[in-house]
Amino acid sequence: MEKIIILKYAELSTKKANINFFLKTLKNNIDSSLMWDHTINYDRGRMFIIVSEDNIDKTIDVLSYIFGIHEIVIGFIDEDRDFNTITKNVLDLIKTQEFKTFKVETKRSDKDYPLDSMEVSKTLGGIILKNKECKVDVHNPEITIHIEIRKDAILYYTNGIPGLGGYPVGTLGKGLLMLSGGIDSPVAGYLTIKRGVKLSALYFESPPHTSEEAKNKVIKLARILSKYNPNMTLYVINFTKIQEAILRNIPYEYLITIMRRMMYRIAERIAKSENSKIIVNGESIGQVASQTLTSMSVINNVVDMPVIRPVACFDKLEIIDIAKKIKTFDISTLPYEDCCTVFVPEHPVINPELSKCLEYEKLIPYEELINEAISKKQVIKIKEEEKQFEDIL
Amino acid sequence: MIYLDYSATTPVSYEVFDTISKVTKEFVGNANSINALGRKSANLLESATKQIADILNINVSEITYTSGATEANNMALIGVAMKYHKMGKHIIVSKLEHPSIYAICDYLKSIGFSIDYVNNDSEGLIDFDDLKGKIREDTILVSICAVNSETGVRQPLKMIRQIIKKENAKTLLHSDMTQAIGKVPVNFHDVDLASMSAHKIFGPKGIGFLYKSSMVNIAPILYGSGKTNALNPGTPPLPLIAALSKALRLALNDLEKKERFVNLLNEKVVNNLSKYPNILINKTKYSIPHILNISIMDIMPEVFINALDKYEVYLSTNTACSSGEVSHSIMAIYDDLKRAKHTLRISLSYATTTDEINKFLNIFSEVYDSLKIVK
Repeated sequence: MEKIIILKYAELSTKKANINFFLKTLKNNIDSSLMWDHTINYDRGRMFIIVSEDNIDKTIDVLSYIFGIHEIVIGFIDEDRDFNTITKNVLDLIKTQEFKTFKVETKRSDKDYPLDSMEVSKTLGGIILKNKECKVDVHNPEITIHIEIRKDAILYYTNGIPGLGGYPVGTLGKGLLMLSGGIDSPVAGYLTIKRGVKLSALYFESPPHTSEEAKNKVIKLARILSKYNPNMTLYVINFTKIQEAILRNIPYEYLITIMRRMMYRIAERIAKSENSKIIVNGESIGQVASQTLTSMSVINNVVDMPVIRPVACFDKLEIIDIAKKIKTFDISTLPYEDCCTVFVPEHPVINPELSKCLEYEKLIPYEELINEAISKKQVIKIKEEEKQFEDIL
Repeated sequence: MIYLDYSATTPVSYEVFDTISKVTKEFVGNANSINALGRKSANLLESATKQIADILNINVSEITYTSGATEANNMALIGVAMKYHKMGKHIIVSKLEHPSIYAICDYLKSIGFSIDYVNNDSEGLIDFDDLKGKIREDTILVSICAVNSETGVRQPLKMIRQIIKKENAKTLLHSDMTQAIGKVPVNFHDVDLASMSAHKIFGPKGIGFLYKSSMVNIAPILYGSGKTNALNPGTPPLPLIAALSKALRLALNDLEKKERFVNLLNEKVVNNLSKYPNILINKTKYSIPHILNISIMDIMPEVFINALDKYEVYLSTNTACSSGEVSHSIMAIYDDLKRAKHTLRISLSYATTTDEINKFLNIFSEVYDSLKIVK
């Protein structure tokens, strides 16, 4: 008997014409995440992965970070199709499982097999009842024992563990995430990746007002996101000159509004340069002054591409729940200031006026400053960054 | 030189030595400092620990670095005793533990804890019924090593844990995994606490760690400052930690393949030495191949080892930590005092070569004959 990992697809079954593209992308994503020998086969119903016994746990761990999978199941394949062997294998399979109710479901793709599906299920059900204290429940069983009779072998499996769902990363194009060190933006990123969007991230630093530790924190957040979104790139923009120019020239209550408008301008240019179709951020309606509807509209005004705000309508506690689930919460709550929190006016404007913004912005040579900041951007490949100590460790 | 004392300690591998020297030279900052040098060190510390956690499938926060397994054993046993003494003062250990466990138990006994010793069968396996019977409501801890250092007998920790938790869900299980890690697969989720040491896996001496499941709290035995770990405060020894991380990664590469190779070497030695009428092979079906214990009934083991020195062949009597005494593990398994007084431990590793084994068997025969004549 050989172990085999079976993946059931998430929402993919709703994609008709381009399902092959989705499946191929899913296969490629798995391929590039498994750092050990493996074989992947798939059809429109399921994907099969074979790895050495040693690597099964590790493989399942990796798969639990890949979108597009509804369920991960460990099955067994045995070439011996003799009914006695089937009986023995099924009894072995259930030995370690705890359940009170079950059903046996048999599929027979080899129609020449001497017993039909119903007979196999019925006979095996009877044998299980004799060997284990349990009952049959065909409607709502605790476990379902699946037997698939194929031409070359028999496949056995029971319940699996849930996968992440969503679409395979990359199937819906690219986006740029404005990633801060806070709680919301990593969650926004996660939710966008879940819908199949491949993300890069953009972080604004303002040294020496913000510390290296704040940047490291963002790198750590990017590392977590890159588990779901392999080969992630993080752009770091030095925002100090722009921020200082704003501080010196613009009325204090408009500081955040103008700062956000500058950040959006930079985000749009970087997104377009790498062919990203959307900007993604962690804004949530009403959370802070820059996230009132008026603020959002005045800030959004500087860009000419969709801005997706996946957590716009979530309560803070709902966002925190997801942040905890994806393990970004503990990093996000480390106490390092970032750009947006380092200078905060006591009374920021909550209903900024576009005309005033335009007027104020004339006071700073922002085009020049933005061009300079973008030309000096730092590009961090998260995968390589993670390997920085490879020669030592 | 033929080194057959890998279970006492191992040489540091070139790759690991390289790490020690590089980190010593290039990472001078204190990982607790907030300046750039400190951050550089903290980053490496974090990566090294993450690598260990990933390899062993545990969390970073479950690792506390120690100077080795003895210190980890102290932290675990005394830490549990101090934390849970109000719930109970009863501790159970096996008769196949490393001497450090018994020394700690003696100390705990002196301050009012009661210690029970669980029996094993003639194959060295923990007697499950005896264990079941000894667990009481006030049993706070059971400590059973994963692999016995003298005979290589390996315990089924998962099953032992199930038995313990069924009798008393609050009883914790600690395991000294020093002789298991890097030789055979281990699963930290089978236990609540575990100890290990780097110098048994081609890493440096002076570093190891305590695994403490995040579900478990213990009292610290060390107090100090520093942000890296609450149980072992102070400046983390970065070169040693990086070396431990690397040694562990290298040790667990192709683990099964290495184990199969060592098994072949073990069988070769066993087949040869079984032919001596006065040599008993102290190997049970649960022994791992890396540790081979024999009793030369007609020659004193110290004499034999002294004679082998001349040929630059190095092995031990029982464990390096209790040399010169009666082997209590052999007593526990075979209940034969003479057999326990005459033990030699041949410990192998994947670095051992077939050629070394052939030479060793020839030298062994020569030394045996010469000493037998003297007798």
